[in-house]
Amino acid sequence: MDTDLVKLAQNGDKGAFTALAAARADRYLAASHRILRDFSLAEDATQQALLSIWRDLPQLRDPARFDAWSYRLLVRACYAEASETRRWTPNIRLLPADEPMAADELNTVVNRDQLDRGFRRLSLDHRTVVVLHHYLDLPLDQVAEALGIPVGTVASRLHYAMRALRAALDADARSTTRKAAQ
Amino acid sequence: MSTDRDVTGIVRSWLHEDAHEDADRILNLVLDGIDTTPQRRAGWLARRLPPMNTYLKVGLAAAVVVLAGFIGIQLLGGSNVGGPGPSPSASSAEPTPSEPAPSATADTGLPVGSSHVLWDTPGDVGISFTIRAPGWSGDVGGGVLCKSSGCSDPPDGAAMIAFQGDLYVYGDPCQWSSTGPDTPATSVDELVAALAAQASRDASAPVDVTVDGYAGKSITLHVPDDAAYVGGRFSDCDRGEFRSWVRDPVADSARYHQGPGQIDELWILDVGGTLVVIDAGSYALTPAEHLAEVRAIADSATFELP
Repeated sequence: MDTDLVKLAQNGDKGAFTALAAARADRYLAASHRILRDFSLAEDATQQALLSIWRDLPQLRDPARFDAWSYRLLVRACYAEASETRRWTPNIRLLPADEPMAADELNTVVNRDQLDRGFRRLSLDHRTVVVLHHYLDLPLDQVAEALGIPVGTVASRLHYAMRALRAALDADARSTTRKAAQ
Repeated sequence: MSTDRDVTGIVRSWLHEDAHEDADRILNLVLDGIDTTPQRRAGWLARRLPPMNTYLKVGLAAAVVVLAGFIGIQLLGGSNVGGPGPSPSASSAEPTPSEPAPSATADTGLPVGSSHVLWDTPGDVGISFTIRAPGWSGDVGGGVLCKSSGCSDPPDGAAMIAFQGDLYVYGDPCQWSSTGPDTPATSVDELVAALAAQASRDASAPVDVTVDGYAGKSITLHVPDDAAYVGGRFSDCDRGEFRSWVRDPVADSARYHQGPGQIDELWILDVGGTLVVIDAGSYALTPAEHLAEVRAIADSATFELP
């Protein structure tokens, strides 16, 4: 983390901000896409988050904490997009039925499809915790800091989310086993 | 049946699948946008203002010592023995053109009588205040007004901040990270009740008030005088911060306090269905005139519905 760049950007240096933003924009977009499950919403959230980071950067007390702070603004932008617009796309994906598939390949596709459905069924709070921890690889205390909630609440949400996703996969496994037996 | 380890691996693998997210277009839009997006200066929301420059402190202290010495000599008639002693008027302390003028005096700041929008976020209630005395400066758009250089800092600062929207009031402002509520206070009565119930605040009884025609309640809260405070941090509190409430737990836009003994006089209003809080912060050592000024400014508030 280049704290010098952060300090320069805090003082209005647009070049420094450009360097910070360029190094992180893809990651912000990817994270917000996974949280929101909608690319258009994710683009809007990323744009808003980057503008908020620029606008509020002088209020950041500790430049070394830039990344945790910026994730907080990104999550806030995701919540705003999710609450202000309800453009959730219907989640109906049909598996191709005309070609036989190997069991592993079938399992992979089904896993992906079931995970996507299971993930969408999670609340925004739960999805956010999963993405911050399992995609951005933030430890639980940093997730807690980014969300402004206790670590215990993060652990609880993560436990619930993973249990729900496991249930989705297990339900699918039972279905796949039945199909394979037919 | 999947094991936890299986599921974690599957989920992580799925999340890391390349979805070809390319933010170049977004980045270009943002970089175009920052040209017309001013940065917000650090204000009270950031817990405390940056400390005064050490050289400025030393310079001001030296100026005070020189001034006191000069006035003392004049009062004792040191250089005017045998003649009529000049009265120790302010003019005797005015710097000559060759001397640097003391900066950051109480007379700098926004013009008395001028009005300023201190909350202008689109979609929110607009909040404006009128400056009633010299020496007040503000973070226009940031919701903060400060009396001279002391702003909200101990031991004798005075400042005002405005909040609006539903607020999450911590059960314990020191152990706030584990005492945040699940739901925010959404009415004047709920907010007053939550604040009055906060640990260690020594809250006053609420009083009915009206500001700019909008009704609400006033209540006064205290930060304990004996709260441990080391190096600008409440050392016994979570993250070194003593917090009353947070507006947005995700964005962490909280009301932080600036030192032990801080007194918060709050005007909590229902402005067209939106909760508005005007918070006048002071200390026991804050000069009475500064306290009167911040109250007068708070009383000048006008609101514009979105």
